[in-house]
Amino acid sequence: MKVLHQSQFFISYQCDKQRCFFIKFPHKTIQLGFCQLLAFRQQVKEIDLEAHFNGQNPHGMEMLMLCNREHFFIFNTLESIDLKEFITGTFAMLELNSLLTTSV
Amino acid sequence: MKDLVRQKLSIHVDVMDLLNKQIEQEAHSSSAYLAMASWCDHNALSYSADFFYEQAAEEREHMMKIFRYINDNGGTAYSPEVGGVNHDFKSLEEIFENALDQEIAITKSIHNLVGKCRKVNDYTTEYFLQWFIAEQMEEEQTMRRALELFDLMGTEGLGLKLLDERIPKIRNKNTE
Ligand SMILES: [Fe+2]
Ligand SMILES: [Fe+2]
Repeated sequence: MKVLHQSQFFISYQCDKQRCFFIKFPHKTIQLGFCQLLAFRQQVKEIDLEAHFNGQNPHGMEMLMLCNREHFFIFNTLESIDLKEFITGTFAMLELNSLLTTSV
Repeated sequence: MKDLVRQKLSIHVDVMDLLNKQIEQEAHSSSAYLAMASWCDHNALSYSADFFYEQAAEEREHMMKIFRYINDNGGTAYSPEVGGVNHDFKSLEEIFENALDQEIAITKSIHNLVGKCRKVNDYTTEYFLQWFIAEQMEEEQTMRRALELFDLMGTEGLGLKLLDERIPKIRNKNTE
């Protein structure tokens, strides 16, 4: 298993053998297929950080359900900010890997 | 490390996002044409109404084409939400002007997508989008032909009726 990206709170891994991904959250690690990773990315993209600061989301909580509602997460503002960076970083590493494998 | 993404997905991820945006645009376009059809129906312009009903159906087909393309290639297409559809129009001329503006906006958006494909070497999607480039060219021409009718013919009373009857002929015959 190889580390793709590590942010303050989260780590993503790729497992070549099982052809899947793992994400380590502070309290648990979950396994995701590519489609599930895409779905996760979409949900994170849809998080409206501005709402955390302009009073629309006064509790500053984000609720995400992953992998066909198998997992349920609640993130605070700091984690939500980190999550966006984490997803961007993870996909940047995946793209870099794509570039490397095609050029070799 | 294996390229797992490539094993699952033949579209570039960023291109997939833009394709999903395009789905929203086509859906909005379909709804906008439906609103125009309704206005024409209420104002006894039945040929124009039919024209816009057909446009609405076409836009939905465009949307479905992209929707399936994403899913067929391992991505995830998202069912679009449509909001802000305008139902208020002053005249048939204004409707066709809006229709042309809408088509121009979609052409720009498709071109932007092709530009992105080239940047990230997504030749598969670039090829897929060729059909849309040709389609947009025809759509713009169709709307321009409609607007030319307004320059040629009057829009008072009987003139507007006659103009309405000419609307079915503005579609490009070669493409049907
Ligand atoms: Fe279209
Ligand atoms: Fe169109």
